Amino acid sequence: MLQLTGVEAGYELLQVLWGVDLHVDEGEFVALLGPNGAGKTTTLRTIAGFLPPIRGSVMFRGAHLDGVSPHRVSTTGVGYVSESLNLFPAMSVYENLLVGAYAVKDKARISSTMDLVFELFPRLLERRDQLAGTLSGGERKMVAIGRGLMPSPSLLLVDEPSLGLAPMATLTTFEALKALHARGVTILLVEQNVNTTLHLVDRAYVLEQGQVVLEGTGQELLGNSHVQEAYLGI
Amino acid sequence: MTTATNLRAVPFARRFMSFTWVVIGIFVVAMIASAFLKPSILVDTLITGGMWALMAGGLALVFGVMNLPNFAHGEFFMIGSLVAITVLRPIQAALRADPENTALKVLGPFPGMIVAVAVGFVAGVLLEVVLFRALRRRSSEQWMMNTFLLTAGVSVILINGNRLLFGNDFQGIRAYWDVPPIEILGVGVSVDRGMVFVIAMITIAVFAVFLQRTRTGRAMRAVAQDETGAQMAGIDLNRVFMLTMGLSCALAALAGAALLFMYPSYPNVGIQPLYLAWFVVILAGLGNVQGAIIGAFIVSFLQTLTVYYIGIGWVDVLPTVVIILILLFKPSGLFGSEVKGVWEQ
Repeated sequence: MLQLTGVEAGYELLQVLWGVDLHVDEGEFVALLGPNGAGKTTTLRTIAGFLPPIRGSVMFRGAHLDGVSPHRVSTTGVGYVSESLNLFPAMSVYENLLVGAYAVKDKARISSTMDLVFELFPRLLERRDQLAGTLSGGERKMVAIGRGLMPSPSLLLVDEPSLGLAPMATLTTFEALKALHARGVTILLVEQNVNTTLHLVDRAYVLEQGQVVLEGTGQELLGNSHVQEAYLGI
Repeated sequence: MTTATNLRAVPFARRFMSFTWVVIGIFVVAMIASAFLKPSILVDTLITGGMWALMAGGLALVFGVMNLPNFAHGEFFMIGSLVAITVLRPIQAALRADPENTALKVLGPFPGMIVAVAVGFVAGVLLEVVLFRALRRRSSEQWMMNTFLLTAGVSVILINGNRLLFGNDFQGIRAYWDVPPIEILGVGVSVDRGMVFVIAMITIAVFAVFLQRTRTGRAMRAVAQDETGAQMAGIDLNRVFMLTMGLSCALAALAGAALLFMYPSYPNVGIQPLYLAWFVVILAGLGNVQGAIIGAFIVSFLQTLTVYYIGIGWVDVLPTVVIILILLFKPSGLFGSEVKGVWEQ
């Protein structure tokens, strides 16, 4: 479904990715792990079209995503929930979701997707008319994921949903991602919370210094000595 | 963000005791009081305020969505008045040949305004595509400064282009409709001014509904609040920028066309409306469209008071002084946020 081959990318004078190869198959739940500065966020930004790769290709369902502008990537079925969320703070939760469905023309489909989002996050229904800028961190994350779901993406890129959240809120977010996956959404998740993530996902990649150093199923990586030493502190 | 988070916890009464609401309250009371003392003050305030709201609303929209201080905004007012007079001339000639043509008499001003809006829109779109999109593609560094310089340059080119092509003369009309004034609140209001007010109110209402309720208007607000988030939702920034610039310039051109009987068309006609629009936008808080509409009426009220009690030569002085005083206490403008007042520092 998604295939990155030899992707190199970076910011002006600083190259971050040095040939990333990874793939996500239809219906999978894949995690991208690694320390700070390894290039996890850069990888997602490159897939989402915010950062054109210097070299290499990003293919999604047989079509090139490299060099495609972000709004086009979004309309081809790749949803992106960024680390900073990028919500519209002066709009209500409802309006944030509506803008998320900007590319959807069918009104009935918009309202049924919104019902799904409210079912996934009942909290958002209570906060429906509250401005996004006045929500708590956990609620803001729910709005961001909900907005990402509005165009009914087939692949959802999620960047560090646990960042800055209380343990309970993190748990809710992970539960929601699991429920989404059960509903058939393919997910590529970037996380620092290695232990929880590896128990959650089908497969994971470990990114270090801009390259994939390890790949395997959650269970395999939990048993890997490098992962245990560097990330799990065992 | 800390105050925003507690928004729900703030008691209703205290929320409206803020500086902004006190200032607005003072103005509303003053306007009502003036209506009892001299109804013509209120009538004049509403009529000119409506037009400044169109000018300032467009300026605030472009600043909010594109982060672009448009110092060529007045020149779209100029383009509007130029188009209006050009379209009106053959109509007036036809009326002179056939003074009994009532349809032509009644509809007289509207073709000019419609063409002015269309030309203003196209000019705005061209400006965005040719200039700002090209600049954006090169670099977004120093964006505010670069666009300020660019728009100042565009303004010089448009003013002198007009002078070159159409001459340096005032081209005005005495009135759109040469009929006796109608009475509102016991004040004689010329039909032209009444029409200007009605047009302004309808346009503002349509504009507000467009921004609040339509998919495209929502996309514009989304881009103003978070460009990255808007792109993630599938919004094409270039299209939104094009539309924003076109809409803003169309509003300025409409103001220029509608006010032709007060501001005859000549190359520099846009300067005063530009300054007024900036007064309003600075007073209201940069990039706040609703604030700009309210601010427009405050500024026009101050202008009207000056004309009535001090003299027309002071018409820019009193608004400026009041704006400076307000900004001393709230430098971000009445509806702006995140800047500290001099007294709080």
